Amino acid sequence: MNEPIIEVQHLISGYDERVVLDDISFDVVPGEIMVVLGTSGCGKTTLLKHLIGLLQPFSGSITLLGHDLLRLSEAESIKLMRHIGVLFQNGALLNSITVAENVAIPLEQHTNLTTGLIRDLVYLKLELVGLKSAAPLLPSELSGGMRKRAALARAIALDPKILFADEPAAGLDPVTAASLDQLLLKLRDLLGMTLVVVTHEVGSIKRIADRVLFLHEGKALFFGKLSDALKSHLEPVRNFFNP
Amino acid sequence: MDTPIVKLPPVITHQQTEALRKKFKALFDKKQFSPSVEFDFQEVERMDSAGAIFIQNLRSDLEKNNVEVIWTNLSPGIKRTLKLFKRPVPPVFKSEKKNFFEKIGETGYNLSKYFAESILLFSNIGYWSFLGFFRPGLRRKGEVVNQGVLIGVNALPIVALIAFLIGFILALQSAAQLRQFGANIYVADLIAIAMVSEMGPLITAILVAGRSGSAITAEIATMKVSEEIDALTVMGVDPVPYLIVPKLYAIIITLPLLTVFANIIGITGGAVIGVTYLDINFVAFFKEVFTVLRYKEIFTGLIKSFSFSIIILLTATYFGFRVKGGAEGVGRVTTASVVASIFFVIVADSILGLIFYFGESAF
Repeated sequence: MNEPIIEVQHLISGYDERVVLDDISFDVVPGEIMVVLGTSGCGKTTLLKHLIGLLQPFSGSITLLGHDLLRLSEAESIKLMRHIGVLFQNGALLNSITVAENVAIPLEQHTNLTTGLIRDLVYLKLELVGLKSAAPLLPSELSGGMRKRAALARAIALDPKILFADEPAAGLDPVTAASLDQLLLKLRDLLGMTLVVVTHEVGSIKRIADRVLFLHEGKALFFGKLSDALKSHLEPVRNFFNP
Repeated sequence: MDTPIVKLPPVITHQQTEALRKKFKALFDKKQFSPSVEFDFQEVERMDSAGAIFIQNLRSDLEKNNVEVIWTNLSPGIKRTLKLFKRPVPPVFKSEKKNFFEKIGETGYNLSKYFAESILLFSNIGYWSFLGFFRPGLRRKGEVVNQGVLIGVNALPIVALIAFLIGFILALQSAAQLRQFGANIYVADLIAIAMVSEMGPLITAILVAGRSGSAITAEIATMKVSEEIDALTVMGVDPVPYLIVPKLYAIIITLPLLTVFANIIGITGGAVIGVTYLDINFVAFFKEVFTVLRYKEIFTGLIKSFSFSIIILLTATYFGFRVKGGAEGVGRVTTASVVASIFFVIVADSILGLIFYFGESAF
């Protein structure tokens, strides 16, 4: 096993006086798919927001790619963010511009590549997610699954080392959700990315997870291999997989 | 001539490609006629998608110029990267360009479609506005009063302020001219006629079009986008009598009232100039106002503002129902609605002004 690419230690956090995450510790090694799971309202999305630096915890430490996320200056953290891709729950594509222009945003903002090269890269990423023909369409003209895939193309535009995905399968039919999971697996294998996926879809978890972190009432109840989680005797974990 | 060997750097990512491009450009200008070039991948450790495409673009560019390209010492990892990030063939999208006649035809078709849509909606509103008057159960409860407050009462401060300033400045501008003839007292005539038959109805209508017309469009468009209109329809509630008709009643009642209010404030604004700048007695000013105002001016002003209220509501609802797409569609129709309703208000004002002027003998 290599050095962990993400390391979280004793993370305590919440909103105002309410503690949402209570003493969470885990690590993610390069090339694995770590799934954060749990019932609704257990703090999954909050944890993800900490990992991508959108929220500040009360205490604890988060190390991302060898940098202490909580001690970085603004400029350093922006630099670090270029190695991270985020797939938001609803895609978060900009609605007023086409799919191709959406995918081009990070390339235009963070690189000095020529227009031709950017165009080639945009089509390459759209081809990887199987959306090349949708390039000139507006996000409002896409179906839910296509929108997620377009958002994924944008998230991987800069070849991130880590991809965070928030509920990639939410709101999709089982077939589309499965194909999106296959896509995530393919990207992991092809690009050697590390994935942190937040989800509560059991089918999706069984398909993609290497290791799982089970959150329950703000605590990390279980952290380990998926196969161990399925055999776990902990009451909430058992109920989650066998409702 | 020997094959020149180009050593590639250890890291080729999107951060390095631009520098490499410049470096290679200089290189190939000199060796333009070399029949082949060798790229040495010995030191390359890391390459991302941007780097891979750059290297492949370089190769195809050179091959186009009849230069043979040789890649040597590729590690398995780099080979995989190059294979994975193949240059995509840009898809060909059939061009959407229309010729001149197609454009004319499309415009004509759209205009006739919009016209038919609007006539359908307006007749629907007209039908329900008569029928709904006798069947208050079809409206949302208390909605006429509610809308009356939103459209009329809440607009009072801004209408008062604007009307006062318009009357004030109109008097000031004309005072300078009238003074030359010693016709100071006629400022009262001018302000009275101008406010009551023209400025009062017009500025009130423009203000209400901007304030409430946009609000009505945005409300209906949002309801349509979030399928609330569909929900009402499947519940067996016709959205026109339920949503639109109360607004129509509210605006028909409040806009003429607002206009009367604006007229009074506007004339007061003129009186301020008359008293302070032209030394007209306050009582004499209003005496002059009441002698010059005939019923005709008052009625034409009210008829105008009644027509404007209907125009504003119909334009606002029409654009609200025409919304397409999501949240950005709501913004688009709202802008279009305000522009259109102000335009139609001014057009209607001109037409009514002509009718009242030349049809004077009929009154």
